[in-house]
Amino acid sequence: MSSDTSSDNEDDKDTASKSRGNLAEDETLDWLKPRALLVPEDQEDVPEAELDEEIGRFLTTINPQWVADEVAYHYGQAKFVVKPKPTFGKAYPLYIYQGTAIRKDSDEAKAQIAAGYGKVGFDDAGPKRAKAKKSTTELEEEEEPEADAPPTEENKAEEDVPDEEKANEVGGEDHEATQADTAADEETEAVADEGAEEQVPEDEGGGGESQVEEVIEIKPRVKKLANQFNFCERAALTYNFPKRSVDTQTVPPPRANFGATCLQSIIFDFYQEDYARKQREKEEEKPKRLRKKTAKHVKSAQQIHDEQLAQRIREAWTILERLVNQNIFDEIAQDYRYWDDPSDEFREGMGSLLPLWKFQFEPMRSHAVCDVQWNPHYQDLFAVAYGSLDFTQQQKEGCLCLYSIKNPAFPEYSIITESPIICLDVYKETPYLICIGRYDGNVCVYNAQLTLESSYQYKSDSVRDKHSNIVWEIKWGARMIDGEASFFSISGDGRVVQWAVMPGELQATTIITLQSNVPPIPGPDGTLLTVNSCGSCICFHPEKADIFMVGTEDGMIHTCSLKYNRNYVRSVQGHHMPVYRIHYNNYNNSIYASCSGDWRVKIWEDGRDEPLFMFELGSPVGDVKWAPYSSTVFAACTADGKVYVYDLNVNKYRPICVQAVVSKKTKKLTRVDFNPRLPVIVCGDTKGTCHVVKLSPNLRVMCKPPKKAQVADQRTLQIMKLDKLLSLVRDPPFQTGVVDEKFDDD
Amino acid sequence: MAEEGAATVGASEKVIHTYPLIRHSDMSEEMRIEAMELSVTACEKYSQNNELAARMVKESMDKKFGPAFHVVVGESYGFEITYECTTICYMYFGGNQAICIWKCS
Repeated sequence: MSSDTSSDNEDDKDTASKSRGNLAEDETLDWLKPRALLVPEDQEDVPEAELDEEIGRFLTTINPQWVADEVAYHYGQAKFVVKPKPTFGKAYPLYIYQGTAIRKDSDEAKAQIAAGYGKVGFDDAGPKRAKAKKSTTELEEEEEPEADAPPTEENKAEEDVPDEEKANEVGGEDHEATQADTAADEETEAVADEGAEEQVPEDEGGGGESQVEEVIEIKPRVKKLANQFNFCERAALTYNFPKRSVDTQTVPPPRANFGATCLQSIIFDFYQEDYARKQREKEEEKPKRLRKKTAKHVKSAQQIHDEQLAQRIREAWTILERLVNQNIFDEIAQDYRYWDDPSDEFREGMGSLLPLWKFQFEPMRSHAVCDVQWNPHYQDLFAVAYGSLDFTQQQKEGCLCLYSIKNPAFPEYSIITESPIICLDVYKETPYLICIGRYDGNVCVYNAQLTLESSYQYKSDSVRDKHSNIVWEIKWGARMIDGEASFFSISGDGRVVQWAVMPGELQATTIITLQSNVPPIPGPDGTLLTVNSCGSCICFHPEKADIFMVGTEDGMIHTCSLKYNRNYVRSVQGHHMPVYRIHYNNYNNSIYASCSGDWRVKIWEDGRDEPLFMFELGSPVGDVKWAPYSSTVFAACTADGKVYVYDLNVNKYRPICVQAVVSKKTKKLTRVDFNPRLPVIVCGDTKGTCHVVKLSPNLRVMCKPPKKAQVADQRTLQIMKLDKLLSLVRDPPFQTGVVDEKFDDD
Repeated sequence: MAEEGAATVGASEKVIHTYPLIRHSDMSEEMRIEAMELSVTACEKYSQNNELAARMVKESMDKKFGPAFHVVVGESYGFEITYECTTICYMYFGGNQAICIWKCS
């Protein structure tokens, strides 16, 4: 229970201290509050006046506690005696203790030393015992310098403690009896100590009472004496780690030897050599481009030999192929050369077309002939561009082929391109250079002279400056001021771009961007998108190199100039459907023909808004071309597979020949081209076949010179013929010449 | 170019080349150019005293690329030296002087 209560108290204290701590903390915070004193309930009520009263205190030398006539019972006298007044003056002893120390040089001490204190019992202690106990005694005691013996003394004392205590008790009582007067107070303290020391005199057995007293007083003093040599040194040796030295040596910097001799002659020679080298480099820098090219084409002797051999074999095979073809197509060749339709003589003003060869390239059977053009230099050669006009199922690749009518079996030159070819043009100055426009918007220049393995010679940069739409037509232009060849392309993105054939690259310049009448269309984010009209064909003026005409997909025919890149020189709403071809007359530069998907072919004169002639062919007209040999003859091909040949001089309203070249169910005619010298035309269809047909004599009637001017050449006559015709049509000026075929029928 | 060519053809025997011409060097590009320019400057400054020129080149090179460069300037001498790699430059200058700079410490 007591423990419980104590623990409870402790708890209370803890809580109290805690609360006090809290209070203290609170106080630190609440120092601003007025302090309210906690008052115990049982506090005596003291009036304010008494609390404020000052109470003085005085210090005196008189002890107020002392009772003057205090008495005490004296047992000796068996009566009460008055206690004497203390005589200490101002000091008042509270406690009196009699010390045991005496001065060394005092008489008493001298007497003790003289009496031989300390040597007593020295001999009795056995030296062996002293040694055995030495360490312990040494640690415990400090002894006088001369006292070799004390340890033994001490040892002895300790050993005999139990016996001595008993003896002490006896002896002590004896002493007390004798010493009662002198050292009554000390006795109790001294008893314990005395026991050990007293034995000496007792063992001696000879000591009187006085001797005993001395011993008692001296004993503590012996204990306190110090021995300056009496100490012990302790040391420990830790493990020493063996020393170890580690060093490295870096590799010395590499050195080399060099020796030379310098003499004036050596210096001179070296300068000469260096100078010569520099001269050589300078010379070589100039034709850097050429050197690079030659370096690129450097081939080993073996390769050259192989190529030469291959070329020779190829030539041999070509001759053999020609021989075979000549035999196979002998009849056609004969027809081409000699057969003229005899019926022409009987039907005046009407002609016919004689189908001759058909050209097909096996890999391109599903492609359409997108463009066909006779070579301006080699009359038997024509170039064909294979692409596709079915835009829902566009072919992945195209092909450029050169066919010779001497070899209908296989193209002379064929190269597969990675995108369908839509248009081509053969350069008149160097007829082996052919530029093509592709479905993906790129334009390329191919060199037919290079071997079949070689790729294009120039190609537009697909990233930087290609068209963003189909290149619809491409035409070589005049040479630029600094002599580079250039060609123009028109694309569905509404741009006409001039491509300068620089060495190694094509440099594009946008000539004109075709603007349309459509107002800007607001884009999804509020920007206005201007809509370009899509160009579909381009045609250059035969004489004025900077004038060209552009047909668009909305039927407009714009006359533009290279000098203006914003405005049109003239604009005519020529058709209602995309214009497929515009072609200038070969004899009169102000007359041109156009054809369109709105089934019509129109003949225009520069500066007139209305056509001179208009013919409706009943099907989209893919192409129209003026004949090179006559100023009034032109041919057109339609999507229903027919070729129309008109001679305005013979019949202003009707074609002089309509002939279905291909079946209109499966094929459409796309392009047509007159051979510049031979009386044949070539037309391409949508199944990759090119048809070469011969014009019957009625279709190629030459002008008979009038009797007056026999010397005039054919060209003059042709121009005169056209002028005569035009004068009929123009007069009266308001286009009465525009006559519809249907009216004519009526 | 044409004029120049004609001139060289006419006086090809008499042309004296004075431009600095490296005969042998394995220095880095930067160091070589520095050494070359220093040599040109020194040789032009002390055209009559090769010793002073050599001293100037040596001291400048020591400052720039650390000590213990050795420089020999002279018109006719032979040498066989040990050098620390990438620190040798043996060049001609002025048409008649050969300067050899190397480092070996």
